[in-house]
Amino acid sequence: MSGDSPRMYPGAGPDERTTFDAYSAFDVPADLRELHGRYDVESTARRVRNFRYAEEWMMMIGGGWVATIPELPVKTGLGKIVWDDAQSADQLGHRLPELRCGKRSVSTSEAANEGLSAFIQEVAAPESPDLTIEKITGMFDVLKPHLLAVYDRMQRETDQISDAPTIEILDDIMRRTRKHIAWGDEVLDRLCDTDGKRERRRRRSVELREALEKCGGVTGEIADESPRLN
Amino acid sequence: MKRFIQHEELARDSRFVRQQNVMTTVLASMPDDIDVVVETFDKFAPMIEESTRGTAAWPLFEKFGPAFALVTLNEPILAGQEGVEDRLKMRMHGIFAGELQALEGAGRSLWDFPDAPWEFKMNMARQCWDETRHVQIYEKLMDHVGVKAGDYPESTFLFECACSDDPAMRVAGVNRGLEGLACDVFRDLIRYAEDIGDETMKQAVDYVLADELTHVRFGSEWVKEFTKGDPDHFERTQEFRRTVDKQFSFGGSRSDREDAAIRIAWEDRLEAGFSEEELTELAAISGDGPSQKTMIAAAQILRERHQARKTSAAAEARA
Repeated sequence: MSGDSPRMYPGAGPDERTTFDAYSAFDVPADLRELHGRYDVESTARRVRNFRYAEEWMMMIGGGWVATIPELPVKTGLGKIVWDDAQSADQLGHRLPELRCGKRSVSTSEAANEGLSAFIQEVAAPESPDLTIEKITGMFDVLKPHLLAVYDRMQRETDQISDAPTIEILDDIMRRTRKHIAWGDEVLDRLCDTDGKRERRRRRSVELREALEKCGGVTGEIADESPRLN
Repeated sequence: MKRFIQHEELARDSRFVRQQNVMTTVLASMPDDIDVVVETFDKFAPMIEESTRGTAAWPLFEKFGPAFALVTLNEPILAGQEGVEDRLKMRMHGIFAGELQALEGAGRSLWDFPDAPWEFKMNMARQCWDETRHVQIYEKLMDHVGVKAGDYPESTFLFECACSDDPAMRVAGVNRGLEGLACDVFRDLIRYAEDIGDETMKQAVDYVLADELTHVRFGSEWVKEFTKGDPDHFERTQEFRRTVDKQFSFGGSRSDREDAAIRIAWEDRLEAGFSEEELTELAAISGDGPSQKTMIAAAQILRERHQARKTSAAAEARA
């Protein structure tokens, strides 16, 4: 290499540097993210298992309800949401081996506590065909909004650089969850066309919110997680 | 919410009426004997009359009597043939109901077997979305041919036959029996759409058929997985699938016989993972039953009896 031409690769000596401009990895475009978040690897892994538990159960409950709901657009709407929830649970599961949980952890779900398991079973409880309002209220007025709030907070408070894969996954899940909540709201607005039905929706929502608060929500730490419930 | 529901518990809105499944079960085991076919349909006449009253099938019952299904559902759909519009409408409505039940069956597989492997759940969840789209596609196609949801009675026979409490048998019944039948029915419908130059119907049904091949593959793989290391369980599952295939052959109407209303879609089924041996066996199982000639002769007798009864009832009313 001639001494006049710019160096393409660094050499060992102090005068053997390249001539390329120096930037920080955060310069272009300007990136204000900082290191350190609220959760370490273990607590993020536990939360991902908690989230997966909720998504997996919503998938199974939705699947079970399809046959018990007489309103055709609710049946078909749920059919799509079942697949969305399955993808959410699957994405969360694939994050677990990356968080030091072992290769087999991809299908691991974990309830935060027994109260949360009982809450999920209470959401699933309505069975009869005349209980579509109670079914949709439990999942779309209470559980999914709670999850959205927790996901949103997790996304903001986890380490923005080190835990970016979780943030990306939550981005996808939140996008779907927002659509689900909007769908549920539209269904309930349409089905609750009398004061009596609107009261059923309100009552179911209040009962389940109380139960959710009592068990601490999806991570068992609701006081810190879910301002929307207060 | 409990696990394992009965077919009577499938929820429907106010447009739908149910058809008793017993007739379909009986038809699956009828011999090639005109008298037996006539007496069987005659015996079920009050029940058939009841389930068609107030539906779009009522004029057909009025015209043909209790064997109207023999001249509609059990006859091939051929362009330009007399009565083809009614046949097409009933077939579309039957497929729509079948897709609803397939959606419900896939959904229940998620709820009924919570401890199943994750990949199984993913497959069933995907099938839920596919069946959802199929319900939507067939609602559009029903509109396309001038029929609405609830116009005809719904038989929940498919759900009843296919939804076992054992996961291996569930996927054998739903994913191989029911979805295999769907392959046959959709290939026949594509053939009809091509005959009449209906590109909308042809393209839509072809997409649905592509999905069904995937669902059959799910079934083939999960039957093997659920029965791995247990040859007795595998054999019982195969036996269940044979029973379902026999019932879904509707007395030979879906078979490889020359006079079948719907032929076995051999190529599609091979692509979906059925073996040559299984298809040969299916052809043998489904081929039994009354021939088209027997069905037509029985339908004629039943029509004459029905008209005679109507005339007699009218005379009594006048007297």
